[in-house]
Amino acid sequence: MKTFSNRYIFIYSAVLVAVVAVILSVVSVSLKPLQDRNQRVETKQMLLRTIGVASNTANAEELYDQHITETQTPDGKPYFRFEGGMILPLRGTGLWGPIWGYLALDPDGNVLGAVFDHKGETPGLGGEISTDKFASRFVGKKMDTQPIRLKKNADKNDSYQVDAISGGTMTSNGVTAMLQVAFDDYASLFTGNTDPGCGQSSNTIQQ
Amino acid sequence: MPWSKNNPVTVQVLGICSCLAVTAQLKPAVVMAISVTVVVALSNLIISLMRKTITPRIRIIVQLVVVSMLVVLVDQVLKAYVYDVSKQLSVFVGLIITNCIVMGRLEAFAMSNPPLPSLCDGIGNGLGYSIILIILGFVRELLGSGTLWGYPVMESLGVYNLGYENNGLMIMPPMALILVGIIIWIQRTRNKDLQEN
Repeated sequence: MKTFSNRYIFIYSAVLVAVVAVILSVVSVSLKPLQDRNQRVETKQMLLRTIGVASNTANAEELYDQHITETQTPDGKPYFRFEGGMILPLRGTGLWGPIWGYLALDPDGNVLGAVFDHKGETPGLGGEISTDKFASRFVGKKMDTQPIRLKKNADKNDSYQVDAISGGTMTSNGVTAMLQVAFDDYASLFTGNTDPGCGQSSNTIQQ
Repeated sequence: MPWSKNNPVTVQVLGICSCLAVTAQLKPAVVMAISVTVVVALSNLIISLMRKTITPRIRIIVQLVVVSMLVVLVDQVLKAYVYDVSKQLSVFVGLIITNCIVMGRLEAFAMSNPPLPSLCDGIGNGLGYSIILIILGFVRELLGSGTLWGYPVMESLGVYNLGYENNGLMIMPPMALILVGIIIWIQRTRNKDLQEN
């Protein structure tokens, strides 16, 4: 077999890597607008799902413009408004990485819909938060005088408790923390008073 | 022939991991199959064109750089044009880089053969992988979710009224392994010369 000098090897690898880098950058830059659009559409579809509007990738942006407006709290925290209330963005961390979601509330703080997603939670365990099955547990719960918490064997009649995910305790704790942060950030939007401990389980589900 | 007697999955038993992971539905299975075929074919072609200039000492690194470049390209294209499928495939597109079929064909064939046969070898092996993925995706989606390409086949046939239920086990990765085993079994029964003495 032919032998090659060290100089050849170094120059060869440098040129190869440079060529590959140029190709990848060109492709990445030229596909960026399409990828950004996909992500934007995905977020809009998530928001539309919380208020029960079915959408597909083609009509999501149009429906979004019809139903949802972006706005801010007096102290500059972004949230969304729709005809039946407001949608709060949720941001937090799960076990392996970021988790996020949106919570649609009516003016009294009743949850109309929720949607969650994650970057890298374990499929089948923490990853279950992105399923409709999990999100539907939030419907009819309340977020006015205190935040919703995820609990093992949660009391179904308690408006502030949602059943946690079995095998996904760390992710569930992340969701609880995320809801707490949103509750603190957007406290000024809730009509109920923020006196803790009042009306723990005496509230009936209003739906 | 790489799609039957020398099938990369059922005979060489390579690339099993992604076979189990992405075949719960037909659509991701087909997208994955196309992606792998493109990567194997093009990397075979490129490495074959470069084979006289590659020094043996860094050949694996050169192969990896080429394969990685192609995989990143495929990943970017999927993200741009089939975003929902690319989310489902998630990490498995990136893992094509470590798919033994790709490196195996580069080492065994492309390093010592001219470009055209190498391209054909890549396409052949890609198709061999594809056919298994598509069979798995077809069976698993049909029996596991009662749909094909998202279309509710079982519902429109009306078999639910006869007491038919979807088999939830089909969605789970172990069932894919059992199906691969069954395919290997059928293949070996029909092809006596694949059986070891």
